[in-house]
Amino acid sequence: MTELAVRYKRKTPRHEVQVSAPKGAVTHVHLPDEDAKAHFVTALLKARCEPGEELELFGQPAATAAAGKRDKLRGRVGAVSPIVGLMSNLNAWENIALPAAYHGSPPIPEVAQLAADVLTALGAEPNYFFARLPDELGLLDRKIAAFVRLLVAAPELLVFDALEDGLSHGECRQVARFEAEYRARHPGGTVVYVDTKEES
Amino acid sequence: MLQALREIEGGIQLSLNVAARLPRLRRAPILDQFLRQIYFTGVTAAGGVIPRACGLGVIIIAVMMDMLDADVDLAVKILLLMVFREIGPLAAALVVILRTGTAVSAEVAMMRVTGQTRALRYLGIDLYDYIVLPRVVGCMLATLALTFYVQFIAVAGGLVLSPYIIEASFWELTNRLFELFRPVDFFYSTVKALLFGFAIAACCCWHGLNPPDLTNNAVPKVVTKAVTQSMMLVLLINAVFAYVVFGILFFGLVKANA
Repeated sequence: MTELAVRYKRKTPRHEVQVSAPKGAVTHVHLPDEDAKAHFVTALLKARCEPGEELELFGQPAATAAAGKRDKLRGRVGAVSPIVGLMSNLNAWENIALPAAYHGSPPIPEVAQLAADVLTALGAEPNYFFARLPDELGLLDRKIAAFVRLLVAAPELLVFDALEDGLSHGECRQVARFEAEYRARHPGGTVVYVDTKEES
Repeated sequence: MLQALREIEGGIQLSLNVAARLPRLRRAPILDQFLRQIYFTGVTAAGGVIPRACGLGVIIIAVMMDMLDADVDLAVKILLLMVFREIGPLAAALVVILRTGTAVSAEVAMMRVTGQTRALRYLGIDLYDYIVLPRVVGCMLATLALTFYVQFIAVAGGLVLSPYIIEASFWELTNRLFELFRPVDFFYSTVKALLFGFAIAACCCWHGLNPPDLTNNAVPKVVTKAVTQSMMLVLLINAVFAYVVFGILFFGLVKANA
């Protein structure tokens, strides 16, 4: 039987959502509306489910997890999502380095090297990029900064929430390289793309 | 009533949290926020405070000496009891409320409204560590520094001006000031300034983190409430402190009888 990174279920009067993401695979999830998407991403990021929801992360039920265990589960999940935005009073470098500087790992020189490598691979000029405040960056650049910040944290489960929203075709080609960058560094990681179903 | 109790409980919790987390100030991003707070509250405010404090000392001395027909003793007492002990810390607190209180409450409320506090939580960063602790400790130290500027400049301004109003030389006044000055005056204003800084920052952070709703309209409401309550807290602390330490209220106008 395939080991699952995520198993999620939510039943509402309007619809029923069921998501399963095998460990190490790439899964595309299309949810009925923005509300369902927000609930799903929030449940993953909090490693906690609300009434009417069921969530298992890496085979462990989130509902019954103790606080310490939940914190550990939360540390294994990361999302490039509008829900996890950048700090507006910090420049891009400070945003990228913030979690590492706060938690004390990985070392800052390592973060700087990783950030410079990824930014160069994604076609951004690191020194110019690092000094900009989020308000001075475009939507694509903000998504890149959030992605690099996430790569530093090295999550086992990476959620891309509406990654292409608001981007041009050219920019969509750039964000499509996020997955490869993540895979290059975490070959065993799980990737979940989340989006809403397009109404016809 | 319930809201007031909730605010008091929140204030106490916030104070305990700050006290318990002091060692975390050494962490790089928290230290960075702390230094920014000191810079914006203590350093950038100093330029504006210096001429205002000088003006304040000079006006008080001129008016009081003229009205009371003061001699050397009375002039020095006015400088020590009013300017150094009471007006200095209060003027610094007023500057901190108007400059830092408004900025902190608006900034934190904006972070809350725009989901930045939620993002910090998802990154495993504690809001008390990153937002509250550096602002509260930074504001305390900056208020203390501003109090010293105001006291020094206002007293010096008073000493320089007094010889033009009363028949006493600058050196006569200075010598008398050092005779009457007691270390308790210094400790009193130091502790009071630290308490003022704590009350202002804690109140502004608490209101910023607990806006009435999560819309942009909440930000001006938060700022108004934070500034008003900070001012009331400062006046309350001043009155209680004066009564507890010296047995006097309202700048010495009402004396407690044991």
